[in-house]
Amino acid sequence: MIFAYTLGYYLWIAPKVLLVILLWGMVRRGLHRQFPMFFVYGALQVLQSAILIAISRSHLGFGDEYHRMFSVTVAVSSAARFCVIQELFNRFFRDYPVLVGPGKVLLRGATIALLLAAVGLATIAPGESANFLLRATYVLDRTVSVLQCGLLISLFLFSRYFALSWRSHAFGIALGLGIFASVELAVSAVALHLGTFSNRTVILITMATYHCCVLIWMFYLLLPERTAYFTRRELPKQDLEVWNQELQRLLQR
Amino acid sequence: MITTAILVFVALLALFCLLWLAKAHASTSEALQNPAEHIHAVDVEAFRNLVDPEEEEFLRTNLRPAEFRRIQRERLRAAVEYVSCAAQNAAILLRLADAGRRSPDPATAEAAQKLVDNALRLRLYALHAIPRLYLGMILPGSRISSVGVAERYEQMTRQVVLLGCLQYPTRGVSAAL
Repeated sequence: MIFAYTLGYYLWIAPKVLLVILLWGMVRRGLHRQFPMFFVYGALQVLQSAILIAISRSHLGFGDEYHRMFSVTVAVSSAARFCVIQELFNRFFRDYPVLVGPGKVLLRGATIALLLAAVGLATIAPGESANFLLRATYVLDRTVSVLQCGLLISLFLFSRYFALSWRSHAFGIALGLGIFASVELAVSAVALHLGTFSNRTVILITMATYHCCVLIWMFYLLLPERTAYFTRRELPKQDLEVWNQELQRLLQR
Repeated sequence: MITTAILVFVALLALFCLLWLAKAHASTSEALQNPAEHIHAVDVEAFRNLVDPEEEEFLRTNLRPAEFRRIQRERLRAAVEYVSCAAQNAAILLRLADAGRRSPDPATAEAAQKLVDNALRLRLYALHAIPRLYLGMILPGSRISSVGVAERYEQMTRQVVLLGCLQYPTRGVSAAL
């Protein structure tokens, strides 16, 4: 009991402390100018947690006021994460102007398809709990998770097909968000099924996942970005000769 | 209960998919340590011949319909292989040129940028050409023109030569390949 209590508080507070360090590191490296939405998202997360902790430690405890505030933070965080994904898409395609058109088509197509799937899901399985706030919160969370998870997978697939190199920072942000969105999808489905805000296992899984995501962001954003040096490597000769002959023949036409 | 179980399964699938794609991203970088092993020879002329409408017309008039369809399917299957190879090469060249874009030498950076753009266009074109070639295999009588892929490929290889010259002025043009 004490262990679960301690673990719960650790997982609640530690990621936010790490986020503060991450935000400070981003400011020092000038990354807050490169990823302003992610910076705002991180700051919002810290602020929201501070408010929730303050409410929980006050005479209100984990009552209705707390749950109302929790629902607001879920909505605000979801909106902020969408802005971060948009920021990732924009930054990604800015490096490859040829792909701006196909990228927009992908973003629009994926958003429409995922939105239809998520809305369909919300209609088919609206949740069984009598608590409206709980249902609204987790149905929203589930819808948003479907969209975010799908968009990030689309972005990863797109970059894989075109063999595009992600800058480490953007890759780390996308990976962390993707992991969080996929776990959040499972957690919101389970929470809706259980019909309660306060299932300890569900809460611990969410918080532990978020902790991992913050560590991923720290790893990618605070460590020096890797640079590729493979253009300097010499390649086997037999291929070079074949290619040389073929290219010379083509260029002489 | 069933919906919840399906959603949990989908979420786990999405998680594994993300982790696999992230891992694949890292392994692509490893493959580039030795790109020559991954670059396959592509005979542009042979490909052009395979998708040449005049050649197709010649075969159509000189062969029996059943035989023409069989041979045309074979030709298009080979053309798909060529496009896939060219697209795969483009992917590797793209990654190679990507690093060149950050070169302090403006000429190298410019050549690398052009190569990246052309490689991307080729990948994009291959994305459209391959289904069309497959459609042609299903309907061997329909007319397909994928000569643009060959032209794009030629354009791209010329830029590789230019980039090679800029990066390895003393070593020969195709050092970048």
